Amino acid sequence: MGDERDTLPLDDEAAGPGLARRLLRQRGLLAFFVVFVFCLASSPRHVRTRWPLFLTLDVQKSILYEHAEQGVLAVGMTLVILTGGIDLSVSSVLCLSAVLFATLRIPVGFPLILALPLTLAAASAAGAFTGTLVSRFRIQAFAATLAMMAAARGIARWISHDEKISAGIVGQARRADPAIFDFMTTPLVKHPLMPKTMTLIFLACLGILWIVLARTRFGRHLYAIGGNEEAARLSGIRVAWNKTAAYAICALMAGVAGIMDCCQLRQGDPATGIAYELDAIAAVVIGGTSLMGGRGGMGFTLVGILTLGYIDKLLSLHGVGPAGREIAKGFIILVAVLIQVRPRK
Amino acid sequence: MRTVSTVLVVAAALACVLGCSEQEAPRGSAENPFVVGMSQCNRGEPWRVQMDKDIEDAAAKHDELTVLFKDAANDSIKQQGQVREFIQQGVDLIIISPKEAKPLTQPVAEAMVAGIPVIVLDRKVEGDNYTCFIGADNVRIGEEAGKHLVKLLGGKGKIVELKGLMSSTPGQERHDGFMKGIKGSDIEIIFDADCKWLEPEAKKEMSSALQRFEQIDAVYAHNDPSAHGAFLAAREEGKGRQTSIKFIGIDALPHEGVQYVKDGIMTATLEYPTGGALGIEKALDILQDKPVPKNIILGTRLFTKDNVDKGGEAIE
Amino acid sequence: MSELILEMHAIRKEFPGVLALDGVDLCARAGEVVGLVGENGAGKSTLMRVVSGVYPDYAGNVTIGGSPCRFRSPREAEAAGVAMIHQELSLVPAMSVMENIFLNREPRTRLRMVDFRKMAADARSLLAQLDTPIDVTRPVDAYSIAVQQMVEIAKALSRDARIVVMDEPTSTLNDAETDRLFAIVERLRASGVAVIYISHKLEEIYRIADRIVVLRDGKLIGSATVAELPPDQMVQWMVGRTIDQFFPKHACEPGEELLRVESLSVWGGDGHRLVDDVSFTLRRGEIVGLAGLRGAGNSELLGAVFGRYGRRALGRISVRGKPARITSPHDAIRHRIALVTNDRKAYGLVLPMSVLHNITLASLGCVSRFSWLRPRLERAHGQRLRAELSVRTPTLRVETNTLSGGNQQKVVLAKWLMTEPDILLLDEPTRGIDVGAKAEIYRLMNQWTRAGKGIVLITSELPELLAMSDRFIVMHRGQVTARLTREQASQEAITAASMQE
Repeated sequence: MGDERDTLPLDDEAAGPGLARRLLRQRGLLAFFVVFVFCLASSPRHVRTRWPLFLTLDVQKSILYEHAEQGVLAVGMTLVILTGGIDLSVSSVLCLSAVLFATLRIPVGFPLILALPLTLAAASAAGAFTGTLVSRFRIQAFAATLAMMAAARGIARWISHDEKISAGIVGQARRADPAIFDFMTTPLVKHPLMPKTMTLIFLACLGILWIVLARTRFGRHLYAIGGNEEAARLSGIRVAWNKTAAYAICALMAGVAGIMDCCQLRQGDPATGIAYELDAIAAVVIGGTSLMGGRGGMGFTLVGILTLGYIDKLLSLHGVGPAGREIAKGFIILVAVLIQVRPRK
Repeated sequence: MRTVSTVLVVAAALACVLGCSEQEAPRGSAENPFVVGMSQCNRGEPWRVQMDKDIEDAAAKHDELTVLFKDAANDSIKQQGQVREFIQQGVDLIIISPKEAKPLTQPVAEAMVAGIPVIVLDRKVEGDNYTCFIGADNVRIGEEAGKHLVKLLGGKGKIVELKGLMSSTPGQERHDGFMKGIKGSDIEIIFDADCKWLEPEAKKEMSSALQRFEQIDAVYAHNDPSAHGAFLAAREEGKGRQTSIKFIGIDALPHEGVQYVKDGIMTATLEYPTGGALGIEKALDILQDKPVPKNIILGTRLFTKDNVDKGGEAIE
Repeated sequence: MSELILEMHAIRKEFPGVLALDGVDLCARAGEVVGLVGENGAGKSTLMRVVSGVYPDYAGNVTIGGSPCRFRSPREAEAAGVAMIHQELSLVPAMSVMENIFLNREPRTRLRMVDFRKMAADARSLLAQLDTPIDVTRPVDAYSIAVQQMVEIAKALSRDARIVVMDEPTSTLNDAETDRLFAIVERLRASGVAVIYISHKLEEIYRIADRIVVLRDGKLIGSATVAELPPDQMVQWMVGRTIDQFFPKHACEPGEELLRVESLSVWGGDGHRLVDDVSFTLRRGEIVGLAGLRGAGNSELLGAVFGRYGRRALGRISVRGKPARITSPHDAIRHRIALVTNDRKAYGLVLPMSVLHNITLASLGCVSRFSWLRPRLERAHGQRLRAELSVRTPTLRVETNTLSGGNQQKVVLAKWLMTEPDILLLDEPTRGIDVGAKAEIYRLMNQWTRAGKGIVLITSELPELLAMSDRFIVMHRGQVTARLTREQASQEAITAASMQE
């Protein structure tokens, strides 16, 4: 019943207070702020100087670096979730890309300028395939991406004969690892403020897709499709094409993450990435993007990535084992979801 | 809202700063012990639990030393992060048992560059940028296993090899050594698989081997859990092959491999010492500026039904 | 004179920044139907929410059956005999009819388990009283809106309600269903229940109510029996000014042919045709009224012209004299055709998005360069259209679902206006909008035809259709049953044609 809504005062967000207050009301941001302060307060300290580790540049850079791979996955996942879908296959596409990249570069011997685009193209193709299944054949996103999840990993294992692909024989002196391994895992310039190249690539992906979502027609289309797919279609938006593009970009991000994985491990590992998709979805959800689609955005996802990153680093520095960290992650997701419950109208 | 957040930030800042103070007592004393960071690749393997325990026990005897343990849960990227955390935390020394050589070489190098000595246990990293390596001679152990098998089978037979993680040095070396040991004989490896040191993997691989091959005389597993997994697979098959097949493993933990030999599940096992206790000893040496050798190779012992009560037979 | 069941005296309700009700009185007697009218924002819903326990804090007194009440929750109000039939039905779609009727008050056996047999029997008897003998075990969403509404009423009856409030009950019903509803209201009246009937459809109020209460801007303007209150007086009370004409209509010389549809057919899911071989033309400056009952195929006809059914539609369409291939809304928009659907929430708006984004949704090409959006240009267009359609919203940035129904509909119209269409297909454009706003929209329609656009109009309120259209096409079961000129058309003629084979 809408009679009164003309005269009733509307939601807080409408009143238009200052930027700071509006930011604080974003519950996800508030939660991250609390997490940050908590991490600072309970930060473990340097063994000698007793300086809280969270206040060191190295630790802050480490947090970004160690979550760059997952961050890239979350960035791609945001697009898909905004359309009201989901992509469970990102972990397998990551694995396939890592293996493919390593294979093209090492045994096959392609130069970087060939191996890189081929890998990314393969990843995007996988995404376009799932996207088509979802948008044109109307298969549930969960089911279609679950199928790709199994298929992609299977292909990865087949290409690699279930063995890790690396340069040189283990144990002997390092033999000609491709230069990109070093390139990705060290800073471009030896300056304390300069993060490792992989971090920069993550931030670049985040930045570019942030702009795409916020300021391009394509981004607007995704929000509309997630908010009300039929209304979007009836407004002239080509839903199938846009949705497929979203899945393709998500898989492209998985491809980038796969290359990152290969460079970090210095090998293509057909067993890598298992359950990474859950971390990506967790980051998006914690950040505040709604799984129903239509609400949220890249800023939210960044908050989610950082929240998870900070808690994980805090626990890791304290030496909490893997079990403890998993419990903490589950707890955070629960709290985040509870905070975000919208008041029933 | 704004006041609450300001109070929170000020409180946190105070909490941080107040905690900072240099320690007065000299390093390496009971009041200000050396801090050693121990990065274990996977506490999911019983042998590694034993390694951690050996380290803990040895450290307990020395007041001037404390150990921080971290478990990477078999994830190389996590282990890289943990080594870097130790560097950031400013530990005095790092002991590491890396999951794989390639990914962990650079972090270990970073520690060395930061002036933190590194002791590598059991699995090697690439190159030689570390302070000290302690491990048994896996090639030798593999060779001994091969020779023992040749003796057992009278020089000929069909066997299955269940390998450990082939991207780690022990896996490679135990395989190479074994091949040396059976050279010249009529022993044929009809099936092999990379079981990544894990019992469930080994059981799975053995099941497929049993289905494919009528005649299997022996199983050479790179570690005892894999041998045990193979035994279980044979028993589950139901054709009684678990008694006809000879199982050989490596590790010889007292409550595991040695027990299996006593129970008759395994025919023989070779000891793979964890090196944990020796690691602590050498750590202290390094921290007290005493010289240590670059590579320390540990000896091994062969356990069979005959000599298990006597504590096995030492091999030099 | 029967007894006074409901007395509301000097009700005053404030929200931060706004006074929603300012000393309103309302009474209802047993067996009386009170029509509650007023524009959007007048306070009707707020007043009813006070009665039904949604707003516990208000000033003033509420007396029910002689005892003073102050409900702290809707449950308490229900227990006291107040039943509310909302505009958006409050049924659980997947649950059966009987479970919905007895939700939370299921009859129990001695073992404290639900007594399904008794529940079914009770449900059946309630629905029999309402002349709706349906299968009570089927899920409620298997039935039409009209039937669902009967279920909602049965729910109210099962609570022995003494006061039944109906909020816009006929907005989604056709004539036959409306008649049946009125029969129920009669029955309620006969059994001594007081009915408060809120509606924008003025003829209905006159048909069913005994007394009329008019609110405006939160104040009680007047209360009178139907006999005492002529329609223009009522409208004047509602709007505060005289409206010369409800439906201003000016004659317009039709120009060149804009749209020609030949042999259009649309296939439904089960093989039969929703639209069966329909042809018509539309010229510049004219309004074609498309009449027919629910399910006659008129909404589907407009949808097919708009490309909504893709390949399920066959036929020939020509736009401005040239053949056009329209297989998707995207194509239609390129041909400067616009479709306003009859369900804005489901098909017309993206509710979580802001008002501005909804307005520009079909014209993103105009506010972007090579896919890069230009916010300032977008905002300028948004402001322009907001002013043109007088959309009431504090800023363009609020989520569209915070707007009232009428203003939401205006946002939909703004969206289509922005595409600068030549051909407007309007399906119930004034549904759920108050009188003042309706007149505005009809005035706009005249503006559009004067500017040379062509309009095809569907509206279930025949008087409006008759007043606005230049020509009429009547459909039944997917086929055209009559084409009438303005002179030939009358309510009887159209109604007859909508029911013949």
